[in-house]
Amino acid sequence: MSVALSRCLCRALSRQTAPLLSGEHHHAVQSPWFAPVMTLKTSAPLRAEPKKKKKVDPRREQLLRDRLKKKLKRLEKVPPEYIPIEDFIHSIFIILLQRERSIPSLSFEEKEGRALLLKEWSHYKREQHMAEVKAIELALEAQREALEELKLESEELYQAALKPDPLLFPFSHEGPVNTPPKTQYDAPDGKYNDITRVYTQ
Amino acid sequence: MAAPFRRMASRPLLQFLSCFSRTATGNTGFRQFSSTSLCRATLPTDRVTERASSPWTLMAAVCLQRLPVISADDSPIEQQFRQLMQQMELEKSLLSDHEIRLLEDAERLSRKQSNSYDSDEEEDSRNQDIVLTQDLEDSWEQKLKSFEPAQRVRADVDKDLTSVERCLADSLVLLAEQQVGSEKLWLLPHIQWQEGETLRQTAERALASLPAGFKATFLSNAPCGVYKYKLPKAARTESSVGTKVFFFKAILSDSGPPAAPDSSFVWLKKSELQQYLKPAYMTKVGRFILDL
Repeated sequence: MSVALSRCLCRALSRQTAPLLSGEHHHAVQSPWFAPVMTLKTSAPLRAEPKKKKKVDPRREQLLRDRLKKKLKRLEKVPPEYIPIEDFIHSIFIILLQRERSIPSLSFEEKEGRALLLKEWSHYKREQHMAEVKAIELALEAQREALEELKLESEELYQAALKPDPLLFPFSHEGPVNTPPKTQYDAPDGKYNDITRVYTQ
Repeated sequence: MAAPFRRMASRPLLQFLSCFSRTATGNTGFRQFSSTSLCRATLPTDRVTERASSPWTLMAAVCLQRLPVISADDSPIEQQFRQLMQQMELEKSLLSDHEIRLLEDAERLSRKQSNSYDSDEEEDSRNQDIVLTQDLEDSWEQKLKSFEPAQRVRADVDKDLTSVERCLADSLVLLAEQQVGSEKLWLLPHIQWQEGETLRQTAERALASLPAGFKATFLSNAPCGVYKYKLPKAARTESSVGTKVFFFKAILSDSGPPAAPDSSFVWLKKSELQQYLKPAYMTKVGRFILDL
């Protein structure tokens, strides 16, 4: 095909330069473009090596890419690091520092006094508990009596009294505090810097 | 005419709700329940005949309690025990970081003040000399002092019997002065029961009838106590021998605007109730008012 192409080229060029040549009557030295057919196979441009790497190259490049991908996968298969639990990390100073408190030992009288106070306390607490139990029993007795009287009065009022109250719960009440609440108290802003560490796997 | 229609409408509802209620299906009539299941039961109005046979008039009263706001003071043995416990806990404990810093600072100060002190011999190169721990402690003390808490005990308010704020460490009960028969007595606010309402609703009405606007949570449908008295023989008739007063407990949630000093109710501790109530009444009422 390239021979046919060069033949056409030659013919076209020779037609163009024919009047030029005829006018000048030059010697037989001719440029390589106007070589006769016999010398076509050995002409200079046709002697250069054509590029033959068209099918093998993409295959080789793909092989390279696959090898790289396999290496990446092997690296990525390493399991992710565990997120450290802050509560389980101890400060080293807990072990290093000496934390013994130096307190003088107790005398015999002190120990006796303490033992006696503990006995008194247990007695006091028992009295308190028995009083509580008694009070609760009295209250229950009063309620039982009230329900008996109500039953004698009218059956359906009694039945209505026995029903549980569905709207009572959830019931909440603030317990006793140390100092009573101030009526017009402007609490200060609770600004804080959040320094919790956030880990990502 | 209206009764059969009501029966048909409430029958499927009754079957659904019979698992909750403990009615004997034969005797009692049909209850009228509203469509939502969360409601308080009301009574049907066709039950007048059963009640009329009983000679007692029914009343419901409310025992409104204001629970303590501050913790009670310690008795002597409690104070002693508290001190003992703190001392024992201190003995058994170890030094904290803050205390170690205090000790180190004290030691460093004493070393500095001794003559043979060489600052090059300092082992720790941490520069904690800028803020001494003692200074930190002092600054914390200052901050605490700048806050003024409200007073725990105010003697003038304690004497005012009509104020809700008196005696914050105890639980108080509301007493109202009401007309009973021919005389005015101090007792728990009560009101007569009307047909077609449960006793708890009567008690709620009794609370609402007081001039001051109290908001309370009633604790149950069942009464906590009863007081019955017979009318003097002269006033007794066929239909009314005496009165039964049923008490219901309630916890004060909001006291509303402060009342005028001449209003007819007072807040009393259990120990003060004796002076205001009649003895028989007091024995019955004192049982369910807990002073713990």
